Amino acid sequence: MIRPGHPTLPQSFSAALAETRLRMLNVSRYPGQLALEIIIPIVFASMPMLLGRASAGDDAAANFAANTGTANYVAFLLIGSNVFTIVTGAFWHIAYWLRFEQETGTLEAVYLTPTSSLTLLSGVALYSAIRGVGSAIFAYIVGCLLFRVNPLQGDVLLALAFIAAGLIPLYGIAMLFGALVLKVKESNALVGLMQWVVSFLMGIFFPVAVLPPVVRAVALAFPPTWMTNGVRSALLGVGFFFGEWYLDMAVLWAFIFFTPLFGFWVFNRVETGLRKNEGMGQF
Amino acid sequence: MITQATPNSDSNPNSNTLLTGPAAWLDSLFEMSKKELLIMLRYPVEFVASFGQVFIIVTILTLAGLMFSPGGVKNAGESSQTSGLVVYGFILFMFLSDTLWTIGYNVRREQKQGTLEQLYLSPASKFASLVSRVTITLVWTGLLSATSAWLMSAMIGRLPFANVPLGVFILALSLSGTFGVGFAFAGLTLRVKEAGQTLANFLQFAFMVICAPFYPFFALPDWAQPVARLIPLSYTVDAFRSTLMNYPPGFPELAPIGVEIVIVVLFGLLMPPLGYWFYRREEDSARRKGSLSEY
Repeated sequence: MIRPGHPTLPQSFSAALAETRLRMLNVSRYPGQLALEIIIPIVFASMPMLLGRASAGDDAAANFAANTGTANYVAFLLIGSNVFTIVTGAFWHIAYWLRFEQETGTLEAVYLTPTSSLTLLSGVALYSAIRGVGSAIFAYIVGCLLFRVNPLQGDVLLALAFIAAGLIPLYGIAMLFGALVLKVKESNALVGLMQWVVSFLMGIFFPVAVLPPVVRAVALAFPPTWMTNGVRSALLGVGFFFGEWYLDMAVLWAFIFFTPLFGFWVFNRVETGLRKNEGMGQF
Repeated sequence: MITQATPNSDSNPNSNTLLTGPAAWLDSLFEMSKKELLIMLRYPVEFVASFGQVFIIVTILTLAGLMFSPGGVKNAGESSQTSGLVVYGFILFMFLSDTLWTIGYNVRREQKQGTLEQLYLSPASKFASLVSRVTITLVWTGLLSATSAWLMSAMIGRLPFANVPLGVFILALSLSGTFGVGFAFAGLTLRVKEAGQTLANFLQFAFMVICAPFYPFFALPDWAQPVARLIPLSYTVDAFRSTLMNYPPGFPELAPIGVEIVIVVLFGLLMPPLGYWFYRREEDSARRKGSLSEY
């Protein structure tokens, strides 16, 4: 039954896709920014690579293998920096969407439309996932070719499956973070800090096994950690946390069921609280 | 000649304020820096986050570097040369990033807020206005550098710390030079507008790779080494860390230290007037076109 002022599911879906299209159109106007998204992870991974080569010389690969489980440090570091790009993209796009609407004074106007903000947020998440994964895959291939490493070794399909499964809980966390930005209103600082905290916890350039036990436990509660290790294990054989790919994938699926719902719930609560207290247009 | 704030200032002793000369310049710089500090203090989360961020970046880089050492994290604390390379490179990178890009970002912020034109109507020094954008940030970066140096040396090894006065001299001239580049970049921001941010990011990453702040120059690919030799910033990085590390074998890498110091001095003395000249030229052009408030 159609109720006036309450969009149907197909209408909501259409609104989310329209938001995705709008964002895509917007970013297509900044090709330099898109090019940077390819360059940044490669440059970022090259820092420890060059430092390691310089300090360890000919033993670089052997030392790296002893510490991480693979001698292919180029691919290991590139996977880390590219998953980092996906994760930071998710945080930036979700948090900055809210902030942008706040700053331009359109967030309140958005609330006057019959489309819920969660529908629009889903559209932003879809845009972010397409942009993040697209540039990460491209940057990984370009990086591997630049450093003369085969990008298609290992089980590529399984690696993609880990990325796909990891995206949903990732955006659940990003939504939690979006709620925090709504509350604290300092998105730049928070995203800046959070992206590094997450990159540290997910083991961007090192296996999480090197972290102290308490920090490791926190890291394992983060879906990006399972995503990163899943991709590395599928492509480089560094070893799944539970020994088999399907057990690690099962953990990611557990996150899939829990994280988005929790993210939606917290976001809704914060949003409702702010609307009641007239804090939505303030920044 | 004394320039006064208001035409009828003779009747008002409080308005008998000098608007030119070194005292007025310093006073303007102080007040403008105070305003920047006030803005900074209004965002306490950002204040704390920037501190936390540096610690995490340092830890990530350190752990990444340790993955290439024979004992991994167990080897932490054994290589003082590696720690010197990374710590001093990181410190210089933080300082240079401040001076290189912050001025341009702030000019852009004034444009977005619509206050840039108003600033040009005031008789205050434009030069002081540009310098004030970085003054507070530099003090803050100094604190961050000291703490990150302490953290990194605790994690990856005792830090070599020699020739401090010469090191400070090289740092000061490097900053002076990058101030000049910062002025030029601010001028460029007036011209390229929104693309300025992308350009800044691109140049920052190019600096991270070519000027080798996080690894020695010999680690660069063959094609990048001649490019690094063409950029004065490479010599500031090399001279700064080699000096504080007391010139271990193979350092400085690009030229003898005497030659590097001459390059750093010339860079530090010539870049500010050149950069400021470029900024004024771009500003003049923007005012003539009426594009100062466009973004």
